[in-house]
Amino acid sequence: MDGIRYYDIRHVAGEVTHIDIDNSVIESAGTSFFDQAVVRVLGPRGWGIMTVDNYQRPRGDRFSDMINSVLGVASITGEEVEVADARRGVLDVPAMRKDPRDVSIEEKTSILAGIEKSARLEGISSSRANYSERHDTVTFEDSSGNEYSYSICRCGFGIMAVASRDGVVQMGYERLHSIRGLPIRHKQDIGAAAARRAIELLDAKAAKGGIMNAILDQELAGVFAHEAVGHASEGDLVKEGNSVLSGKIGEKIGNNILTIVDDPTLPEFGFEPVDAEGSAVGRTEIIRRGRVCAYLHSRETLAALGHGAAGNARAMPGEPPLVRMSNTYIENGDSSLEEMLETCRDGILLKGSRGGQVDPGRGVFQFNAEYGYLVEGGEIAGMVRDVSLSGEILSTLHSIELCGNDLLMHQGYCGKGGQSVPVSDGSPHLLLRSAVVGGSGTD
Amino acid sequence: MEPIESILAAGSKIADEVEVYFVKGESLSASLRKREISEAAISRSTGMAIRTIRDGKIGVSSTNDPERWQECLSAAIASGELATPQEWGGLPGPVDLDPTPLACDPEITMDPALLERFCEELLEGASRYPVEVTSGSAHVSRQFSTVANSSGVWYGSPKTSVGVSLDCISGQSTGYEFDSSYRLDIDPIGVGEEAARLAHTSGGGDDIRSGRYDVVLSQIALSQFLGAVFVPALSGRNVHAGRSRLAESMGEVVIDSSLSLYDDPFDGRGLFSTRWDAEGSPARRLDFIKKGVLCAFAYDLKTAYRYGKSGTGSAVRSGSGGGPAIGVHNLELDGKESGIMDEPALYVHDVVGAHTANPLSGDFSVELSNAYLVEGGEIMRPVRKAMMSGNIFTMLQETGGVGSKKRVTGRMILPKIRLLRQNIIGV
Repeated sequence: MDGIRYYDIRHVAGEVTHIDIDNSVIESAGTSFFDQAVVRVLGPRGWGIMTVDNYQRPRGDRFSDMINSVLGVASITGEEVEVADARRGVLDVPAMRKDPRDVSIEEKTSILAGIEKSARLEGISSSRANYSERHDTVTFEDSSGNEYSYSICRCGFGIMAVASRDGVVQMGYERLHSIRGLPIRHKQDIGAAAARRAIELLDAKAAKGGIMNAILDQELAGVFAHEAVGHASEGDLVKEGNSVLSGKIGEKIGNNILTIVDDPTLPEFGFEPVDAEGSAVGRTEIIRRGRVCAYLHSRETLAALGHGAAGNARAMPGEPPLVRMSNTYIENGDSSLEEMLETCRDGILLKGSRGGQVDPGRGVFQFNAEYGYLVEGGEIAGMVRDVSLSGEILSTLHSIELCGNDLLMHQGYCGKGGQSVPVSDGSPHLLLRSAVVGGSGTD
Repeated sequence: MEPIESILAAGSKIADEVEVYFVKGESLSASLRKREISEAAISRSTGMAIRTIRDGKIGVSSTNDPERWQECLSAAIASGELATPQEWGGLPGPVDLDPTPLACDPEITMDPALLERFCEELLEGASRYPVEVTSGSAHVSRQFSTVANSSGVWYGSPKTSVGVSLDCISGQSTGYEFDSSYRLDIDPIGVGEEAARLAHTSGGGDDIRSGRYDVVLSQIALSQFLGAVFVPALSGRNVHAGRSRLAESMGEVVIDSSLSLYDDPFDGRGLFSTRWDAEGSPARRLDFIKKGVLCAFAYDLKTAYRYGKSGTGSAVRSGSGGGPAIGVHNLELDGKESGIMDEPALYVHDVVGAHTANPLSGDFSVELSNAYLVEGGEIMRPVRKAMMSGNIFTMLQETGGVGSKKRVTGRMILPKIRLLRQNIIGV
């Protein structure tokens, strides 16, 4: 196999169960199954990649024929790609407290229906609950003899409640996902919480935008860590020159209280026992006490940039690995929420997340809270809706003045390059000075 | 070997009706990192989704392994057993439709040399401005999709796709541009030049003061707003489930009376043009809003039967992973063409965070990308950073006309539009 510097094959087979209950109608409750492999070959210059359905390892010469055909695909590449050596090792997948396969789909549907029903409080005009359960069996081999195999189950649910009154429509949304087994038992209170939020928001005022002090709750501050810092630390973006953190290693970009970490070894929703190109996973301190320490890496970006370790290559089944976050969080500081409210004096407390987006090259982020409260004279005052936060990454990091002591993680999915991977984000409460807050209110 | 006939035969014995959606395709892509191709990828994929109906219970399953069709059929039946039964008037029967494909160019082949040329042309275009290329891509693909059912529908259609994109940066100013088509009429040089121009001309921007501004949205920015809020609000399912702000507005003026919004599945420019929808109903033009007045919502068969409405040929699928859903084929907006850049305005090429809008109320606040002040009919000065806040429904109620040139962006074919007195948060 002349001209081949490296190859790997990552094969993922599994099944996905979805249950969708919409306004008490069971829309669907069923299982689908898939089997896909990605073959990557590093030729004299760049990568050749082939996606294969229903992969069975070819025998004898047919294996080398397959590898050589993928090498042929690489013939149009021009970049001289190098891959760094990386530590190997596979963690055990944390044991599940309750294996969802031991519970019938009929029972899961019934439990989910209970959660959906609990959201139908007076004033709720629509409620919808979704359950998803995914079993992946991953098998990997590469040209250096590295091999591994593991199975993992990820499951969870979301509940949305819509409240309406006199033409005003608002929604509340809650979700819970886990790698630790079936998370839907005894969760009816979560459905009711989503419903109560939607009803409360009917009376909330639209937030008035402007520049003000802002306290971010753990969920929104976690999204901030993910969107504003996590993406900009991804080695592929840094390598392309498409990140404001390019060339910033060792530089102080935030207050001493700020430490931001990505850690795939944590038993959270973004857990990976090993990364998608066979590297051992580990904790990366992206920012340590306000100073940029490391980027997140694949073997390729590590070779190009240094500063960090490989272990953040992740992939959806049937897709090539990209540099991705896993469990990303801001470490605890020592401030209490009361202290933050007192220091904030007048401003806004932003809670929950409706998602966000970042332009890492320009260094600009935007994300929306689910709701918020005005802060007046250090006290929590009226509720506001449709409130967002945007800003420039570097100036916003400097404006983090207080960091709480109440770290919480939240689960979600992160999209990049057409791929969606499970992640968790977390943070304690944060106080930002002079944040750019958006809202459609006018008075 | 495609098992469609076997599935229809076996499924008809155990269910009242059965439907198979089968897709087979291949694609070739190249990724640019800076000025070199760093990876090239080939993919050959197969996928199928089976839907069964028994006593009004609808079941669905999917797999990418045609040899496991019996397992997939059993899973669809099992899924239906759990579903709540509903009114069901039957899968569509066959109609004599013109089989000529609407979004296929037989000249498109999986030719690596074509991608090499596209990448070279992207870089050539970008070299016209002093910027750095960060990343880019080029792809070609073709697929053949079949929808067949136990009522005798068997429609098959080839589809091709070709596209390029490029990201550039100049200092901390970024520019992104793309083009895609089903035929070989894309302009990689133009894409490269535009991405570079955006990065180059957006640098050194000024802050602007917070206040009310007339805003001209590019087709890309408009498509982001419509996709996040307006399209879901037109779905019959959301209308009847209490999740659409437009639910009670049929027959009323909901946007500027110069604007009309419709789905035209036969538009020759569309990437998703088709003569039948994803469940085999004949596709047709659907006028959602005529001259500002709300006229129709979109329905697939399941939603139409449930609520006593007629299907509108609006079933779409994103791949073969599951059942059909309500969507649009080519959503188009017509309006009064006028000199939208004649008076002072803020021109917005793109926005960051449109998907975080409140999908029910339409309230949003987004960060602007590549925004410029327009003076004397010309784009004059870049704006460094600003936010726009408002409501997607109300912002379309009074507009200052649309531009003359439409552009295809995914499932939409849109003009630029001038919005009046929008709330901008600057400094």
